Amino acid sequence: MSRVTTQAAVPRDTTLWEWISDPETWTGQGGIWESLVETVVLCAVVVAIAIAVAVPLAAWLAHYRKGELGVTWMVTLSRAVPTFAIAGLLVPVSLINGWGFEPWPIFIALLLLAIPPIYLNTYTAVRGVAPGAVDAARAMGFSERRVLFEVELALATTLIFAGIRVSAVQVVATEPIRAFLGGDGMGRYVRDGLGQNNDTLLVGGAILIATLAALTGLAFGLIERSVLPYGVRRLKTSQAS
Amino acid sequence: MISSSRNPIVRWDYVVDQSDSILAALWQHLELTLLSVLVGLAVSAPLAALALRHRWTTSAITGFTGFLYTLPSVALFALLVPAFGLSRVSTIIPLASYTLLILVTNIIAGFRSVPESVIDAANGMGLTPARRVLSVQLPLAMPSIITGIRIATVSTVGLLTVAAIIGQGGLGRLILDGLRRTFWTPMTVGAVLSILLALALDGLILWLGRAATPWTRKASP
Repeated sequence: MSRVTTQAAVPRDTTLWEWISDPETWTGQGGIWESLVETVVLCAVVVAIAIAVAVPLAAWLAHYRKGELGVTWMVTLSRAVPTFAIAGLLVPVSLINGWGFEPWPIFIALLLLAIPPIYLNTYTAVRGVAPGAVDAARAMGFSERRVLFEVELALATTLIFAGIRVSAVQVVATEPIRAFLGGDGMGRYVRDGLGQNNDTLLVGGAILIATLAALTGLAFGLIERSVLPYGVRRLKTSQAS
Repeated sequence: MISSSRNPIVRWDYVVDQSDSILAALWQHLELTLLSVLVGLAVSAPLAALALRHRWTTSAITGFTGFLYTLPSVALFALLVPAFGLSRVSTIIPLASYTLLILVTNIIAGFRSVPESVIDAANGMGLTPARRVLSVQLPLAMPSIITGIRIATVSTVGLLTVAAIIGQGGLGRLILDGLRRTFWTPMTVGAVLSILLALALDGLILWLGRAATPWTRKASP
């Protein structure tokens, strides 16, 4: 059982600037671009699946006023998913089933981390839509389906996207532990820096990870602002928290 | 071989054999968790007090603690290593920073939930501001503060396992050790114990909180 990961080979006296400005650092094997793609692909898949699972489920339950207890559970969970422990527990399970060291354990652990914020925000947003708006739609003869899609979900858009942003940032910020679970991704430089006692790699890697998380937050913040339905934007109902 | 009889998910003879080091890891985990949450409380109390006294500072304080919360744990642990080495300081600073958001938010919410009339009554009874805060407002804010401490503690137990990458992290070291040797027993023990520790502390703080705030209990029929 061997893990095929190439270690970054950077002399210890290289300065941070020399390392980050060396084209080889970016394009070489195990370079930053390669690690970035690995990380972004995994995180994108995780967040996409989390959205596909959490939004419909939470919206449906909130529409029919069911599963209030699930919210309490999710509040606690959203703060306390022990990603590293869960991924660790899943590694033997994954190997015994022949799925390999990677990336299933980290994938599932990140998914558990990604779902609560999206679920919570969707549920509270749909639940919190002004009853007057829903009643008005019903009085106009809207079907339950149209009430959910055209009234409740439309009014909940901002909060749902806020949940997606929180979730995406958490996933991107947590993904680097993958490098310690037999994988690579953006966490590899911190891992190699620690392993080789090389502060340049360590600090450079940490800055890369933090920057990526910050950029993720910014990008999703922009999306959040641009997806507001026209009618809601005109009303200027800023219920974002 | 991966799943041979020599490497099952848990090998109990190993657990018995290594019980001393497993207990030491559990103890270290508990110690570092409590230290981190205490440091977090010590920092968040004055921050919350500032936000409560000068309302305009609230958004800056919650913004800053919110920013700290989004910093990736691997990055934060790593950034402190050049300055503080593979030490407890490099472990406690990030973990305490992560507790600030929930603690500050809940302390503020707790104090703001105290009705104005109660404060007026306390003032009318001639309580000094210090006594009013300590014996009227603080007790009424307690349920919210305790909820904050519970959530902060449980999430710290989970995040602490990541500190294994800088040689700390109590039970996290068992997980990392097992991963490196592809030997499942320490890994399973570390992961399961860290989850059990989180649940135990959650229950304990909930119970202590109820005991400390008897007035929040529903009257018995």
